[in-house]
Formats: sequence, structure tokens, C-alpha cells
Amino acid sequence: MEPKSPLGHMVREVWPLIILSVGLLLVVVVIQSFGDRIVSQSLTEGLIRLVVVIGLYIFIGNSGLISFGHIGFMMIGAYATAWQTMDPMTKDIFIPGLPAYLLANSHHWLIATIIGGLIAAIAACISGLAMMRLSGIAASIGTFALFMSFYSLYLQWSTWTAGQSSLVGIPVTTTPWVAFWFCIVAMIGAFVYSRSKFGLALRASREDEVAAKAAGVNVTGERVISFTLSAFFVGMAGGLYGHFLGLLTVDTFYLPMTFITLSMLVVGGMQSLSGAVVGTIVLSFVIELLRKAEKGFSLGETSISLPASSAEVGLGIILLLILIFRPSGFTRNSEIYWPFKPKVAVTEVTHRQS
Amino acid sequence: MAFALQVLMNALSLGSLYALAALGIGLLFGVLKLINFAHGDFITVGAYALIVPSAATQATLLIGDFHPLILIPCIVVVVVILALIAEFLVFRPLRNASPATLMIGSFALGFVIQNILIMIYGGRPKAVGIWSDLSLGVELMPGVEVPKLQLIIIGVTLVLMVVLVLFLTKTKYGVHMRAAAEDFRMARMLGIEANRVIMLAVAISGMLAAAVSMLFVVQTGILDFRMGVSLMLFAFIATVIGGMGSLVGAVVGGFAVGAVSILLQTFLPSEMRVFRDVFVFAIVIFILLVRPQGLVMSRASRERV
Amino acid sequence: MLEVKDLEVRYGRLTALRGVDLSIREGEIACIVGPNGAGKSTTLLAISSVLTPTAGSIIFDGTPIHGTRPEEVARMGISQVPEGRHIFTSLSVEENLQVGTATRSDKAEMKRDYDRVLETFPILGERRKQSAGKLSGGEQQMLAIGRALMTNPRFMTIDEPSLGLAPKIVDRVYEVLIDLREKRGLTLLIVEQSSERALKAADSLYVLRNGSIQLGGKAADLQDGKAVHKAYFGFSDDHEGEVMI
Repeated sequence: MEPKSPLGHMVREVWPLIILSVGLLLVVVVIQSFGDRIVSQSLTEGLIRLVVVIGLYIFIGNSGLISFGHIGFMMIGAYATAWQTMDPMTKDIFIPGLPAYLLANSHHWLIATIIGGLIAAIAACISGLAMMRLSGIAASIGTFALFMSFYSLYLQWSTWTAGQSSLVGIPVTTTPWVAFWFCIVAMIGAFVYSRSKFGLALRASREDEVAAKAAGVNVTGERVISFTLSAFFVGMAGGLYGHFLGLLTVDTFYLPMTFITLSMLVVGGMQSLSGAVVGTIVLSFVIELLRKAEKGFSLGETSISLPASSAEVGLGIILLLILIFRPSGFTRNSEIYWPFKPKVAVTEVTHRQS
Repeated sequence: MAFALQVLMNALSLGSLYALAALGIGLLFGVLKLINFAHGDFITVGAYALIVPSAATQATLLIGDFHPLILIPCIVVVVVILALIAEFLVFRPLRNASPATLMIGSFALGFVIQNILIMIYGGRPKAVGIWSDLSLGVELMPGVEVPKLQLIIIGVTLVLMVVLVLFLTKTKYGVHMRAAAEDFRMARMLGIEANRVIMLAVAISGMLAAAVSMLFVVQTGILDFRMGVSLMLFAFIATVIGGMGSLVGAVVGGFAVGAVSILLQTFLPSEMRVFRDVFVFAIVIFILLVRPQGLVMSRASRERV
Repeated sequence: MLEVKDLEVRYGRLTALRGVDLSIREGEIACIVGPNGAGKSTTLLAISSVLTPTAGSIIFDGTPIHGTRPEEVARMGISQVPEGRHIFTSLSVEENLQVGTATRSDKAEMKRDYDRVLETFPILGERRKQSAGKLSGGEQQMLAIGRALMTNPRFMTIDEPSLGLAPKIVDRVYEVLIDLREKRGLTLLIVEQSSERALKAADSLYVLRNGSIQLGGKAADLQDGKAVHKAYFGFSDDHEGEVMI
């Protein structure tokens, strides 16, 4: 069935976006209506992670470069947001090094989150100008070094970040629905970007860097744009995360977070938005199950529990198995496309990488 | 003069550790085009192998209590076996994958190793004292005293580098390894067994990791499941600024990173010293801006396509 | 000696070779000619097991070798001088030759072969200790042939030996190749783009175009250039009105 009206065409154009949003909405509604408060918290955390993973997709999916540094931008966004929303009194006690304006004022969390994302984006833009000149693998190592330098900077910068202790007193404003709407915004952003001329040019460089350069694509510039945009969303996710936990420690933004979010993207399929969403949903469930198993469950008379860190080990093994047996992820790097077409054409379209 | 010599020794000994770790990473990159994110965790495992596996806060020495002549081979064997297991279970199944996939694979492997260590030994750092008399000073010249350990680190590094160079240039398998690193397909067409060369490279990389674990743990006296990660990071940086795929570059880069760290440590005002690593990274980024291809150019630096 | 039957090789969805048959007798010089992109190199890479055929068989001395590993094929006595020579530029000339002996342990004969290679190509002896990357194109071609000889092959495939070389040096290369067949009884499979020189040297000739063999047979029977020309270009040169490129 070919859509005939202009509306039909538009629906078909943004079909992956519609189906992913509706799917996500269903997941949220179902979990919200059946789960208790703890489940609802896991849901919020999962949705915030989804924003991070979508942000990662914007860069990794389109550029083909692996970044190990994005959790650094999440941290920058998280702290930058907290600086704005915390009660001035608390700021005076914990982080007295802030500029006078921030010490005296606070912003609404939504504005603060957006500004937090912007600050992360600026950090990404500046560092990206250096990193993105490197070749693929060296750039990946560069992002890792960048991440470690942000991490060690924030760990020592105690008058702004409370250093090795926790920054407490952040208002808790991130509900599951807030996180959901940020997911939708991030998905729209990722979708629009990947279909824009910028996204197209960057993907051309992913497939063949030399040819893209020959065709006049400024590969470094395109990478920086994508790096910056992805850091914007990841930074906002950081802001949400701080306002979900109500406190921040630098250690939250370390290798485990990097690993979990990167696994979600890879398991779903690095090169498609659908992959980012599917991977996050599937692995979030797996993590919850393994965490439950770590706490122990009873099987008849005996209660069994897995040792600590089982969730992490399990996750690592899942990722390795996916890399070995299905390196293009669950979605095989394809988007969920318009299903109402003649059979032959459908296979053609669904194989198109996005 | 005495002060300069002291700083030089500090820089050389730190640079030695980085250079050894960078060599282990560079060797695998050469042959497998693999950036081994698990290399740091190989180092960590080598250090943890010294003690009895338990989650107790107090570490009890196991291999660490043996005579050095037994201890050293034991640790080397442990790390080499671990590296070979990694090759069989992870690297070999990913042999034909893209460099990016391989890199994520080794990242996952490192993460799994770290968490298995937490499972077995617990997540808290533990103190271990082995060969603590090595940290006693030796008088190099009147007024200049350096820990014996520094001299040992520099000495061991020099010896290992000479042995590695001799192996690569004077032995049949070394020449094969260099040929494979430059053009793997051609080497195979001439009859060089791919798996044998790779296993050999993995084993040597494991030996270098074991050497680093022992030197490092004697120096710090602390076991921490993340101890290898920061060493590995500096080693990565060393390979990148030295020039990917060049072993000479890895060594040069290692010593350069070590020297920069020590110079900053020595000459930064004390309140800025905690930000040393941030400055190191800033300098590295600057070097990369000026020379994106690294300090030492190599023919094998192109990624396998 | 080498029987290729119904060989098919695909790169993803692209079929590079289909239904290729070759039959090479011991001690002969066989040539495959064909335009750019015809699948010549693919054929040689499939023989060396660098590429795995999707269908068909390659039988060497009665043993199927398709789908094995390149190092096994080398061990069985098939050596390849690939397109672009693939010299190890970071190794010395001597080390390049040494790599050729990877599968061997017969020390005395290795020494004999080494001396023979240096006798054939005296320039390699002079530059023994030099880095192979510093050699000229012609010298690199000689080193690549020398290195292939060091594996003590019974069957050697050479991909475009004349590519990028001055005519005088090409003459020398062919002289050496013909000599190898005469003196050592080596069987050769040479791939070239131009059929002229190949026709002169070859005992049998195959024309490959668009991934399949258009024409094959004894070189002596093909001295009339017309059929070869038609197979090569897809049209014969006396009907120039019908040219379709």
C-alpha cells in the first residue's frame, strides 16, 4: 500500500520516529501502571540512560568513530545543571568556589538543564576541534584520554564539585515523564540530524573517508558538529541524572557508566536510532534482572543469589557475544521502516542503513 | 646538579613503566590492529596474583611469598595464560571484525576482568608489601640518593627492550612477526602461520604486562582493581603521540609522557599539583594538534582496511 | 597440475568471478589476460586461498585447496607474487627473502636457493642489508619474485609483473621467468593486462573478461590475434562500426 496523500508521505518519512515513540510510550505506561515506586525509579534511570545512548548514537552512529569520552560530557552537564538549581545556602557550604552570580541565584530546572547541555556542548566543541583531526582509532583513544582528564579535573576541583565527596541537596525534579519527554526530544534531534545534510555528509565519510573528502566533505568539521550535538544531549541527560539522584559524585561518571551506555548502543546496533532505543530497553531489563539476582531470589526452599558484580560481568559477556555473533546488533543497523510496501521493496528499504 | 639528576631518575623510572606498557600495547596493535583496552587489566591481574584469592580486607601473600626466582616466572605464566585465554575466547573470534569492533571487544573484556576481580577479591584497595627493602635509597653520587627500585625499573626496562629488539631482528620468529605486522596477508601467502604469530605476540605482550605489574606493585605497595587502567591510559597516550604502530614510537612516547608528568609534578606550584594529569592531557592534545600522525612516523600506522 | 572448475567468487552481492575453468599442466607457462576489473587478481587470490570461493573447486595435484588457508596453500608449493608486489618495506632485502622460507627447515637447500636467487638477481645481493622500501620498482619486482622462489614452489602465480616498469626491465623479468621454467621446471601462471608479451611467453592462454573466461587454449593455436582481440574487448576489430563501450 503506497500512501497517496502528502500526509501519508510525511508519516512514512518519519515512520521510525513514530513507531519508536509509541513503543517507548507503551513501555513507560505499562511499567508505570504495574510497577511500584522502586520499579518506577529504575524506569526513570533507564530513560535517562536512553537519552545518553541516543546522544552517543548521534556521534558514533553517524561518524563511525567510537567515543569513550561522552560520559565526561554527561558529568559536565550534570554539575553545570546542579550549580544552577541548588539552593544558594547549600552552595555556600559545599561549593563555595562558584562565581558570585551562581552562588546568589538559582534557575528553574528546565532552563538549567538546557544550559547544562549547552555547556557540555561547548566543552565538546572545543575539545573536538583537537580530537577530530585524528584518525579513527587515535581519535577513540583521544576521547578516552579526554574523559579521564575531565574525570580527574572534577575529582580534584573540590570548590566547584565537592571533589571526592558527594554534592548533596540537588532538587529532585526528574520524574519518569520528564525523562520520557527528553527521550522524545533526543530522538527527534537524532532523527532530524541524521537526515540533514550534515548527517548525510558525515555518514558518507563513515563509509569512505577518502571519497567523502574528495567530494568536498569537510570531515573534521562534520565530526565536530556531530560531537557537539551529541554532547548537548548527553549533557542534558547528566542534568536529568543529578536531579533524579538528588546528589552527585564524580565517581558516578566513570568506566561502568561508559561501559553500560556503550554496550546498549552496540547491542542494539550502532548505526541506527532504532538500535539505540532497542538496545537500551533490552539491556535495561537484563540489568534489572541480574541486579535482582544479585540480591537473591528464592527457588522453593533454597534462596540463590549471584555474587556482587554479576550484573557487570553478565553485561560484558552479552556484549562480547553480540560482537562475535551479531556485530551489527539486534536491529542489524537498520531502522524500523514503513511496513506497508510490496515485499521486494521492503527488503530493499529495511537494508538501507541509516 | 644533584636536584636535576634526581628529577631525571624520577622521569626515567616513570617513563620506563609507561614505555613497557606501551610496548605491550604497540606489539598487539602492530600484528592484530587491536587496541587492547584489556592490557591494563592484564597488569592488574599480574599484581593480584601475588595474594591469596579472598575478599578479606587484609591481603595474604601467596605467590608473593615465594623466592623471586620462582615468583617472577609464576606471575609471568599467570598473565601470559590470561592473555592467551583472551586471544582464544575474544580476539580470535573477532579476527575479521573492524578495528572499532575489536576495540569495543577488548573494552568489554577489560570490564569483565575488572568485575571478576571485584567478585573474587572485593572492591577495596589492599596493601601488599613485597620486596619493600627495594625502596631504600642508594647513593648515586654525594648528595644524590635514589630508591634502589628506580634503578631496577630502569635496568629491567632496558634489558627487556634490548631482548625484544634482538628477538625482532635476529630470530626467525621475530622477523616473521615484523613481516606480519606490516602486511599480514602477504605474510600468510608466504606460509607464515597467522595463529602462531598472533599467539606469540599476545604472549610477549602478556610478559611485558607481567613485568609492569611486578615493578608497579613493588613501587606503590597497593592493589586496586583499577590500578592498571590509569597506567594503560598513559601507555595509550604514549602510543598515540609516539605514532600508532611504531614500537620505537611507543617507547619514545612512553618516556615523553613520563618526563612531562615528572616535570609538572616537580615544577607546578603545590596547589596546582593535583591537576597534574589534566596538564599532561592538555599537553598531549597540543602535541596531537601539531603532529596528528605522532612523533615517530611508521609505515604500518595505516589502519587495516 | 592445477585444475580450476566452475569457480565463483563474490564480494558481498557483487559476483567477481563466475564459472571460471582453468587447466594448467605441469611445466607450462599459462597466461591470463584481460582488461581492468575482469577478475584476474581475484582468480589468483582464490588460488592462494586468500579469498574463499562461493562455488566451484580448485584442485592442486589431486588435492582440493579451495577454502583452506593461505599458509597451507603456500606449504603445498604454490607461491604468489601479488599485484603491487607487497614487499615488506620495513624489513631488509635479506629479511624479505628470509620470510620466504617460513615453511621450510631444509637448511642446506635454503642456502642453495638463497645463492641462486642472488645469482639470478645480483642487485639484491648488493643491497642485501638495505631496507627493501628503498629499492626501485624494478628491484622490488625482482625481490618479490626472489622471495616467492625462496618458498621453493612448484607452482608460481605472478600478478601483472610488468605493471609500472620500464620496458627494458620487463624484458629482464620475462627472461627470468622463462628461464625458471626451462631450468627448474617451474610451472607459472602469469596475469597480464596486455596480451602481446604474454602471448609470446605463454604455452597456453586464457582471456578473462567480466568475471568469466571468454577464450582459452594453446597459445600456438591463438596466434591469429583476431579471436583473442574479440574475446578481450567483446568485439572484433574488423567491425569497428559496432563498437560499444
